[in-house]
Formats: sequence, structure tokens, C-alpha cells
Amino acid sequence: MASDDGVILTNDDAAQCKRYAVEKKYWSDPYISLLTSRSSAKHAPEISRGYYARVTAMRKLLHKFLMLTDRNCQVVNLGAGSDTNYWLLKELDLFPKSFIEMDFKSVTARKVAQIKRHEVLLQTIASEDEDIRLSKSEIHGSDYHLVDADLSILSQVEKKLHESGIDKNLPTLFMAECVLVYIDNLKTKELLKWIADQFPVAMFINYEQVNMADRFGDIMIENLKSRDCFLAGVEHCKSLETQKQRFLDVGWEGADAMEMLQIYKCLPQVDVHRIERLEFMDEKELLEQLLSHYCLAWAWKDPNNLGIAALDVT
Amino acid sequence: MADSSMTDTANAQIGNGDSAESLSDEVKKKAEELKEKANEYFKNGDYSQAITYYSQAIEQNPYVAAYYGNRSFAHIKTESFGYALSDASKALQLDKNYIKAYYRRASANMALGKFKVALKDFESVVKVRPNDKDARAKFNECKKIVQMQAFQKAIAVEENHKSVADSIDLASMSIEDDYQGPRFEDGGVTLKFVTDLMKTFKEQKKLHRKYAYQILVEIKNFFIKQPSLVDITVPKGEKFTVCGDIHGQFYDLLNIFELNGLPSESNPYLFNGDFVDRGSFSVECVVVLFCFKLLYPNHFFMARGNHESVTMNQMYGFEGEVKSKYTSQMADLFTEIFNWLPLAHCINNKILVMHGGLFKEDNVTLDDLRKIDRNRQPPESGLMCELLWSDPQPMPGRAESKRGVGTMFGPDITSKFLQRNNLEYIIRSHEVKPEGYEVMHDGKCITVFSAPNYCDTMGNQGAFLTITGDDLTPKFTSFDSVPHPNVKPMAYANSLFGLYAIMDDNAFLNKEISVNHLVPAQGRLWNNKDIPGKVKDRHQLPILCITQSCARGCLGLKGKDRY
Repeated sequence: MASDDGVILTNDDAAQCKRYAVEKKYWSDPYISLLTSRSSAKHAPEISRGYYARVTAMRKLLHKFLMLTDRNCQVVNLGAGSDTNYWLLKELDLFPKSFIEMDFKSVTARKVAQIKRHEVLLQTIASEDEDIRLSKSEIHGSDYHLVDADLSILSQVEKKLHESGIDKNLPTLFMAECVLVYIDNLKTKELLKWIADQFPVAMFINYEQVNMADRFGDIMIENLKSRDCFLAGVEHCKSLETQKQRFLDVGWEGADAMEMLQIYKCLPQVDVHRIERLEFMDEKELLEQLLSHYCLAWAWKDPNNLGIAALDVT
Repeated sequence: MADSSMTDTANAQIGNGDSAESLSDEVKKKAEELKEKANEYFKNGDYSQAITYYSQAIEQNPYVAAYYGNRSFAHIKTESFGYALSDASKALQLDKNYIKAYYRRASANMALGKFKVALKDFESVVKVRPNDKDARAKFNECKKIVQMQAFQKAIAVEENHKSVADSIDLASMSIEDDYQGPRFEDGGVTLKFVTDLMKTFKEQKKLHRKYAYQILVEIKNFFIKQPSLVDITVPKGEKFTVCGDIHGQFYDLLNIFELNGLPSESNPYLFNGDFVDRGSFSVECVVVLFCFKLLYPNHFFMARGNHESVTMNQMYGFEGEVKSKYTSQMADLFTEIFNWLPLAHCINNKILVMHGGLFKEDNVTLDDLRKIDRNRQPPESGLMCELLWSDPQPMPGRAESKRGVGTMFGPDITSKFLQRNNLEYIIRSHEVKPEGYEVMHDGKCITVFSAPNYCDTMGNQGAFLTITGDDLTPKFTSFDSVPHPNVKPMAYANSLFGLYAIMDDNAFLNKEISVNHLVPAQGRLWNNKDIPGKVKDRHQLPILCITQSCARGCLGLKGKDRY
């Protein structure tokens, strides 16, 4: 499908931007260069700073969840693309019982190939005493599962999670980084509702656009359209309220959201000052506009009062 | 006073070649006692006594790294950095894992201005102690300084450097028979040439480098003769237009000429800096502007903006664009030309126009500006820097620049400056505004910004202002962006997109393709074996590649041709 290709390209794009930022030392990630090719272009500093905020914030929430549940949990990364969190968590010794990554077949197939090519990636997945199952587009290890599924087809999602041995009784964190916005609203609603219904203790972290009802948003939509990227789910990106409400409407206990601009100010400032000195940014306007059009939203179901409700990104 | 034994160099023999084993326990004990005494003096701030006693301890037992380490520290305190260095090195000779000694040596080197050397030692400490915040802080501090030094060096004017303009051999460049682009008439730029050129560029075709170089060499020679502050006289009844930042948005520049007429002797213009960077058609913009300057030297003016500088051009795309459309040598030539751009213009002795804004100091006069020695990269402070970087603020007084360079200045500052220099108002650019302009400081500070929908994302209008010789009240025209070929100058996050371009057939055929430039085209995934060495057939296109700052040859564009 033409529109899927456009969406798939967004992964390559984001991954290359992240790799670029890593090479400029915005944050460290020894695995990203193994999963993503280098782009020869220079990226403007506001791009790298934006990615820095995005990666740092998502990681923060992810780590908090893992620590709160004492790793006795699962993580499902929807639309994971070239994400490297699994390996980074292993390095930190902060990995969940199971880490499941889900994306389009062409994306997972490429990731499988890259993992096979790099010993260091494969080794982490394949522990000594257990076999891992590798197919062209999937990997099933003891604590890592890479599966292909179309996220807009709930039955596929269900099936693949089941095949990955997901335990609905474990606290589960679902992550989506610029994913839901590309999926039809009704399908996303279905997915979010299903998760809320099936997982008694869960958290969902969603990074994507917000405040899209203004001129900047209009232009972004146009620009992306011209690249065959349709923001099918942009209706929920109108405001922080709509981002929260979409979860509350389908049975999540609570939800919260913050604009990236605010998050940027709440990140550990010593490191923020460090990264701001990496590259001189000629003006702040562009970064501020970008950061005010992206947000992190998170929702929870915490009937046993584990403390998930209290987790936030500050 | 230091003991004479401390004139040892770092590489000198420690002790008499024996090891600590050869010493009796008693001697070692004595040395320790001396060291303790020295430490006491040190704690009390009596460094010279401390040095004396450390030296005595060393005389007893020259094999203890800590004695040298401590003495080194005492030397630092008394600013005898040479001795501090030598002692630290000796300590490390005895014990290469003595972390403090690395610190001492690095501190001494820093004090001696040897930052690069110091950085190595800080790096060693950080490697061994990755969680030590203090170590990292010192490392970063030192690194910052090293980088700053490198930057200073890069922007300093080199004395005996042969300029590109002087070394170009135009005669040896020949124009191919099949060149279809515009040609000079009567050996130079004419109105016909410029109008043909604009059409050529609009169609994304190229100007032959021989003509480009000729234009550049001529324009450089012209600007060299200009003062840093150029005076403009607009006669009564005559119109004058001021435009702000263009930032490589060529199609929007053409639109300005549609709306307001082509430059001419009766339709003079001033472009107030930032012609290049960020937008993907910076070369086209700046070359056309230079042509108008050559055509109408007394009716067309260009001021330097903060983006007419090397660091900006490296980061924000112009250098990459020039290298890809022409050559690296031409990028250097642009740098030479930008160094000579005037910094400000004064219209009818009443309106001062500069790209950034006003100054950190009071009492700056127009003469001060005239005297600026501008043939250089913009410095990090001072009048030249402030002219290109400052921003107005609504509250009175001054403040630290939000950009980190230049200053913020309030309405009282503007007022005082105008009064001092007998002016009516200032016009500046440098900041994007929703309607393309903003009137601040009670009409005394006007911002005009002419790049609409800046970076294809901001959704702002651009604007220009006109005055007449007898009525200096500005009249503003705001305008929207116009479509342009499909080269997106900015990234979005995923949508922080990378930069995309669609290759121009002509630019592309028979060129070697770099693997990095091939990104799956829509609907087709290419893997390595599909990548052609040379593109023979246009059906091997389209190829999306990363642009704007792309250092390689990928900037021809053909908007509608998507396969």
C-alpha cells in the first residue's frame, strides 16, 4: 500500500536523525549505527535537540516503569522500527521479563537481517541455554520478540502478542513513538480499548504531534501529505486534552500529557546545557515551534496501586 | 622560595636510580613525617613552607608519587606552573594510576594555556572514573575552551593567505558548445542577462561557472571599495524598498519582484542580510542579488547578515549547496565576498538599517560604525557582532541575548541611540514575524523579514517596506509564500523528517551515485544490489536523497516528476 511505504520511510528518517544526533554526542547509543545507515546530510541543530528531548523523555518513563515494577513486567514497543531500547536496557541491567517489538513486515525483516549481521545484537538476544527462533521477519528469543503485524488490524496484533507468549497478568508497558498518528482513528480506538480490556495492570506511553489545529499544524499536514504520509489519526492531536481523552474514553483509568516544550525545560538541566553547547543554534523560534507541536502522553491502569499513576516524566 | 633541586625536568631521573626497597624503614618514616608537616603548612595556606617540606620529604624518599603530587598542588597554588607540571609528571612516572596527578598536570597546563594537552589528561581521568561528575565537568570545561580556540583560529583573518578571487583563472574556463544558459553581453551583466538568469534559475537550470565566477570576482572588488556604513540618498518623491531575510527562498524572492517590481534606477532596493542558508536555493538568491548590485550599483544595496559567515554556512546549508552546485573553491570565494559586505546603511541621514540591532555600549556613533574593520568573520563580541546579532526587547534596558551572541536592547536604548545620532528610526531584520514585520519601540525599531513560511514550516508571511524620499513613514506589504519545487528545507520529526530532494535528471545522469544517497523510493524498496554505479537511464529514478546541507551533488530539482 502506498501510504504504508510513506509511513515506513518515517522510520528510516527518524532513525537517521537519531544516529546523526548520537554521532554528534547528544546521547550515547552504541547500537544505533548497527541498525541504521548514516545519512550524509547535516541536520539543523533544532532537529537534534528535538530528538534529544524525545529520546530522553521516553527513556525516562520507560526506566521508571521498569524500576517501579522491579522488572517484573513486559514492554511492547508498537511501531518499534529501528529502536535500540532492548539492547540499552540489557546494558543497564534493567530489562523486563519480555520485550516485544512490533512493526510492518518490511521493517522487521530488515531488522532481522541487521541483527543477524551483528554478533553483538544477536548475542544479547540468544542466551546460552535457550534457542532462539529466527524467521525472515521475526525473532523469538527468551526475553525478546520481534514480530510483524499491521497495527490497524487488531486480530494480527492479538495473534502476534499471543505467539510471543505475552502474559496478560504481568504489568505491561506499551510504547508508541510517532505511530498512532498514522493509523485511522477508529482502529486506534479499537487497539487502545483492547489493551485496556485485556491488561489489568498497564501503562501506555505515546509520543506524537499535538496542537495541530494551528497554521504550523496545517503546514505540517500538507508537507507530509506531499510525501505520502497521511496523518490519519491527527484528530487526536488537537490538544493535550484530546490526547488524554482518547485513553479515558476507552477504559484507561487515568491519563496525562505534556508538551515537549515543557518537558524540555524539565529534563536534567546540566545535560541539557551540555547538549546545547554541542552545536550553536542560530535562533530559538524553530525549536520552540517544533517542541510545542509534539507531546508525550501517558495513560495507566493501576488497580493495585503499584504507583503507575504517579509516574511522570519530570 | 623553591629549592634548587626543583629545576629537574619531568624526564629526569627520579632518585638515584635505585628503588624504594633500598631505603630503610627509618628513612621512609622520616619522609612521611616531613610530608605530614608539609601538609599542615598546606592546610594553613603557607604554600612556600609546604613546598620546602615536601622537598625535604622527597630528599629522604624520592619514590613516593604523593610527595610530588602534593608539591605539584602547592606549586599550582603559588602559580609556579612550570614546576607544577614537572612534579605532576614525576608523580605519574612513579604511579601512572595516580589520578590526582593527572588533575594537577591538566590544571597546570590549563593555567599555561595549553588546553589541548590538558584535555588529554582530563580525558584519562574521565576514562578511569566515568561516574565522577567533577572529572567530567572539568573535562567538558576544558573541551569547551579547546573548541573555542579552534573556532577563534578559524575566524581569524590570515595575513598572507592568497585569496580565491586572485587565484581564479577565468581565461582557462571554457564554455561548452551545448551550454544553453544565459550569457554575458558586452562582456558583463546586463538587464537582459539578469532576467534570463532568473528564468534559468526558476527552471532549475544552471548558470555556467565561468559567468558565476566572473560575477563573484567583480562583486568582491566592488564591495571592497565600500565603507562599512554606506550612506544612501533617496531623492524627494522617489521610492525606496527595504527587504529582510531571504534565506534561500528563491521563489519567494521572485515573488517580491512580481509584487513590487524589478529593481531599477527608479525602483531601488536594500536587502538587509541573510540571503542564504536554510532554504535550498541560496545560490540562486545570492547570485541574482549580486547581479542586480552590479547592474545598479547606486540603486541596489546589500547588507551583511549573521548568516553571511562560515560557521553559519557550514551548519545551515549554504556551503553544502555551493559545493554541490559548483565547487568548494567557490564556497571559499563566497566567504571572501561576505567578509566585505557592508554592515549597515543610513538612508537620508535619518534611518539606520542593519541586520541585527543595537549595542551593548552606550554612545555609539555612526562614525564608530564607519570605522569598523569588517573584512573578517564576525567576532564574538563588539560592534560588528552586535550589528549582526542583536535583538530588540519590549522592556527597557539591556539583557543577555537569547541567542547567546549580541545583546537584547530596549526602547530606551533605541531612543538614546537615535538621539545621539540624529536619526528617526532603525530598520532591522533577523527575527521571523507572523506578518513579516513588526513595529516596536514606539515606531523607532522596525523589524522586516522577507522569507514567508520560513523553512516550509512556520506559516508566517513575509514583508517588505517602502518609503519615499520626502516621507520616511514606512508602508508595509505582507505576502504569503508561493509554491516551489519539491525540496523541503527542514526536518520534521517523524515527522522530524530528514531533508528530501528529487533529483534533476540532467544533474543526475552519468553521475556516480553514493550509496548513502539512495533511500527507498515510494513503492519500491531498493537493496544494495539495485544501486547503480552510474545512472544511465532516467527510469532508474526517482531517488530521494538528503538535501540542503547535502555536501554531494544532489540538488537539482524537478518538482513534478515523481515516478
